[in-house]
Amino acid sequence: MALSPPSRLPLALPGFEHIKRGWNDTYEAYAARLMPGEYYVTLHDEGIYTTLGSCISACIRDRVIGIGGMNHFMLPASGEMSGWKSEHLSVINRYGNFAMEHLINDILKNGGKRQNLEVKVFGGGRIIANMTDVGMRNINFVRDYIETEGLHIVSEDVGDVYPRMVVYFPATGKVRVKRLRSVHNNLIIEEEFRYLNTIEAKPVSGDIELF
Amino acid sequence: MKTDIVKLVQGVEGLVTLPDVFVRINQLIENPDSSIADIAQAVSQDPSFTVRLLRVANSSFYSFSSTIDTVPKAVSIIGTSQIRNLALATAIASTFTNLPNNLISMENFWRHSLYCALIARGLARQARKCDAEAVFTAGLLHDIGELVIFNRLPEQAKAVLQRVQESGDELPIYQAERQTMGFDHAQVGGELARQWRLPPMLEECIGCHHDIREAQRYPVEAALVHIANALAVMAEVHTFDFADVSPIDPHAWELSGLVAEEVIEPAVSEARAGIAEAEKVFLGK
Repeated sequence: MALSPPSRLPLALPGFEHIKRGWNDTYEAYAARLMPGEYYVTLHDEGIYTTLGSCISACIRDRVIGIGGMNHFMLPASGEMSGWKSEHLSVINRYGNFAMEHLINDILKNGGKRQNLEVKVFGGGRIIANMTDVGMRNINFVRDYIETEGLHIVSEDVGDVYPRMVVYFPATGKVRVKRLRSVHNNLIIEEEFRYLNTIEAKPVSGDIELF
Repeated sequence: MKTDIVKLVQGVEGLVTLPDVFVRINQLIENPDSSIADIAQAVSQDPSFTVRLLRVANSSFYSFSSTIDTVPKAVSIIGTSQIRNLALATAIASTFTNLPNNLISMENFWRHSLYCALIARGLARQARKCDAEAVFTAGLLHDIGELVIFNRLPEQAKAVLQRVQESGDELPIYQAERQTMGFDHAQVGGELARQWRLPPMLEECIGCHHDIREAQRYPVEAALVHIANALAVMAEVHTFDFADVSPIDPHAWELSGLVAEEVIEPAVSEARAGIAEAEKVFLGK
């Protein structure tokens, strides 16, 4: 018998109304569910959760005022075939930069202070055997990005061969990472491929809004 | 609901049939007049099974001091009831290659099954209440219903996994199956075992591994497979956290007489250490 939620769904910040949210019995809290390519920032004590294969999520919050959010993205694979020209690299990284900037900017815009930011990173699993380690590429990107921004990662669970379920509470910084059974692999791979196709199909330009 | 399960399983008849070698060995073993020579002859008629049997007999699974190079020797040393288990265990994997699916690779499917088998056997040896080798086979086959569902009802199977992910992986797969389809993979596997006329112990362990209170004749065996299934997930995702795996019915621990805190870590670690060899021996990798 499901418990009835004791409170109303917290108001979503402008721009995040489309993110799917629901009551979670286990955490006794509302939680937003992120699909690949999405991100979510909240001022309230609500959870954000997502399923990660080779994609990566940064969980970032202002540890003093407790507002923060999570993204879910991967770098496009294009350019891999034609080698590692620096031009390609910057084009590829641009997608990651967007994902990270959107999350951080929205936290700052809503009252977060850069010096209070606390970063946790999850995902980047190698869930397809015998392929280029796209998960590792995503991990390396995020680590570099965080370092370049002068921030640091306080905890992470990345790499290895598992898909992951991540549940994050920006108000407290609490996070739960659950490694998923391999039975989930193919469904997650399918969703990530679909997402990859959408980002690769878009023309890349400096100002384009990707998410 | 029951008729849905029966129809589903009848739908795979002809696609998955038990290999002749198993059927013949099974008949011979059930007949008290059969000799070891009769059984050895039945085995020898299937070259791939013969190779596999000798490979298993000479593996670290059995620490025999001398090399086992002939089928009669293997049959007399391994024992006839154990030959039946082996015939079944080694035949099933090839049988199911006729039932492909897009959701799980056979490699990942059998790895979980083998983990469950190894752990179930280890626990059975400690519990000393039932035939550990038979429980191994039950562990190996516990999820065969999943392969039937994945092949015959791919869209619903996908909806089940989506529902599990939607719940933040809090809803166990078998419960999501019941909500989506009205039955679960354990019931489907139990029905397949029934139609295949597998030994009743296997039918009950497969059919009740998520619902051990339903087990009428073999509650201890079913309890061991139930526990081993959860521990197999621990081995698979490399954790000792109960919250990461499907819940274990406390009644299962009572039936087994085992103490969770004492057996879990050694059982999971031992299975992780033995999995590569088991995959090589049983799945021919």
